[in-house]
Amino acid sequence: MELIKTENIIKTYQDNGVPVHAVNGISLEVNEGEHIVLAGPSGSGKTTLLNLLGALDKPTEGKIFFEGDDLSLKSKKELSDFRLHKLGFIFQAYNLIPVLTAMENIEFSMMLLGVPEAERHQRSESLLEELGIAELKNKRPNEMSGGQQQRVAVARAIINNPKLVLADEPTANLDSKTGGHLLDLMDKMNEEKNITFIFASHDQQVIERARRLVKIKDGLVDNE
Amino acid sequence: MLIKLAWRNLWRNKRRSTIVLLSVIVGVNAMLFMDGMTNGMLSQILFNQISLSTSHIQIHNKGFSDNKTVQGIIKDSEKVEKAISNNPDVTAYSRRVITFGLLSSASNSTGVYIYGVIPEEEEKVSRIKSSIIEGNYLSNAKNEIIIGKKLAEKLKVGLGDKVVALANTPDGTIGSEVFRVAGIFKTPSSEFDKAFIYIPLATSQSMLDLGESFHEFAIITKNYKQSNSVRDELTSKLDAGIEVLSYEDLLPFIIIQLDMYKESMFVVNFIISLALIFGIINSTLMSVFERIQEIGVLMSIGMRIWKIFGMVVLEALILGVFGTVIGVVSGYLINIPFSIYGIDLSFFAESLESFAMGSILYPQLSVENFIITLFMIPLISVIAALYPAYRAIKLEPVYAIRYV
Ligand SMILES: Nc1ncnc2c1ncn2[C@@H]1O[C@H](COP(=O)(O)OP(=O)(O)O)[C@@H](O)[C@H]1O
Ligand SMILES: [Mg+2]
Repeated sequence: MELIKTENIIKTYQDNGVPVHAVNGISLEVNEGEHIVLAGPSGSGKTTLLNLLGALDKPTEGKIFFEGDDLSLKSKKELSDFRLHKLGFIFQAYNLIPVLTAMENIEFSMMLLGVPEAERHQRSESLLEELGIAELKNKRPNEMSGGQQQRVAVARAIINNPKLVLADEPTANLDSKTGGHLLDLMDKMNEEKNITFIFASHDQQVIERARRLVKIKDGLVDNE
Repeated sequence: MLIKLAWRNLWRNKRRSTIVLLSVIVGVNAMLFMDGMTNGMLSQILFNQISLSTSHIQIHNKGFSDNKTVQGIIKDSEKVEKAISNNPDVTAYSRRVITFGLLSSASNSTGVYIYGVIPEEEEKVSRIKSSIIEGNYLSNAKNEIIIGKKLAEKLKVGLGDKVVALANTPDGTIGSEVFRVAGIFKTPSSEFDKAFIYIPLATSQSMLDLGESFHEFAIITKNYKQSNSVRDELTSKLDAGIEVLSYEDLLPFIIIQLDMYKESMFVVNFIISLALIFGIINSTLMSVFERIQEIGVLMSIGMRIWKIFGMVVLEALILGVFGTVIGVVSGYLINIPFSIYGIDLSFFAESLESFAMGSILYPQLSVENFIITLFMIPLISVIAALYPAYRAIKLEPVYAIRYV
């Protein structure tokens, strides 16, 4: 089933008056359950594309459809709720709220959804268990390693059973072994929970695992 | 959970939060202290005036208050007295002869207000008996007089010395009497001590040829706040030729001053509030700018912007509420010793004494101001947080997330 469809999207930034076409006409179709890696050198437009898909930013031209809905027609509030219900984000670093523990970070998204406290505890505990990071439960981000933080970020991203997880360079700050474990985790979630994953990365390890590789260059799809 | 988040965010930068908290506490303390001082000063001035001679309510023949002529005796005073003693809210009254005359000693003479009173009645409506610092209060002996300390100095007389009082009688002749100084008083008002003398009522009546008549009923009610209502009750029972005046009618200047002081307190509170507002804006703005990336994450996970707005406001509100509660409690505690022992202002006592305030100020916190402070400061914190919160929600998520 088709989850996302972009029609020739363009994102143009003004860099000191000079227009920069960060995304320069990308048409892409993503089906539910896919595992896609957007690969390309730094500055090729991967993050910009991911932010557009995640409705954090609006394309200058073109349309994005999510489950058939035109995202450009949604209000800010609707987009916020859309992200809360349907999406999960994992950034390169600093994903977690520093003053909250691992468990509270995970519960936070559930709280925003209005999940009752008892259920929040129960669900976050079992997910931490499932991801093998139960011992991090009461730790704050500054008491965790980078890899541990990213695992908690994965847990937070998937706790509300999103349709799509967008991961922007999730392994960039990790050594290859830790990165590998993190990718294992996400691959498992992709397979077991049928959550669609879109990665943006130029990390070889990520690219190798891609079940569908989309090469990006200068804001365009290079070849698939 | 939002409260938990806001609370923990406050502890991230302990130093900054503590500074804001302290400034709120100090601001609240300053507000309460200033208010206690003004309130104490005003009520001291007012109550001193009331207890010197004004009392809560005065009854005269119509026009006497404006023009104190010796002819202005109360007609049908028995009917008036009956109305007064039948009123359940009246606790005491004193009949007074009041006139202006000349008091002379061997060495000097000066104009004075002569009060003819029944000692047992007068001591219940004024502070005169307790203000005696030398000799005794009046005992009803015919030729006793009590005078103020300042007056005694001016006339160069002491206890037992002879003074002569002269005053016009209603038919224009001069009445006079010789007195011996029985007592000397000192009140918080040096003006009063210079100009008021007390003699027995009967003596004043014979000296002024008044028969059984007199000029004034000075009345004390159960509570000074009842003055106006008791005044109205009495007015309704008495003839149109009688004037019934409450202390508010009698001391318009002080009442106006009271209002002016209240307004000046408002200005002081406003300035303190303004300082607090800028302090809170500054610190909240800093805390928002330190968390740009984090706010981006919150936006990306789908936190609605009004919740982010609320989180920022909540942080300031928590500081405001805690600061206010601590400030109000400590302000109250700090005020206790001052309100008991007073603040000695004798270095400018001269001017204060002519103000009828006394040289020791007893601060009094008003419940009203307490409650206003309790609500106003948290409100101010919220107002101060609005701009930083607005800045937080105006962040573009993509920009914020990249911001490290
Ligand atoms: N906010 C912005 N303003 C101006 N230029 C930007 C902005 N964001 C990205 N760019 C430019 O767009 C291009 C693509 O950036 P990005 O999407 O971050 O690439 P990638 O993630 O592949 O490294 C780069 O040239 C970058 O400098
Ligand atoms: Mg990037």
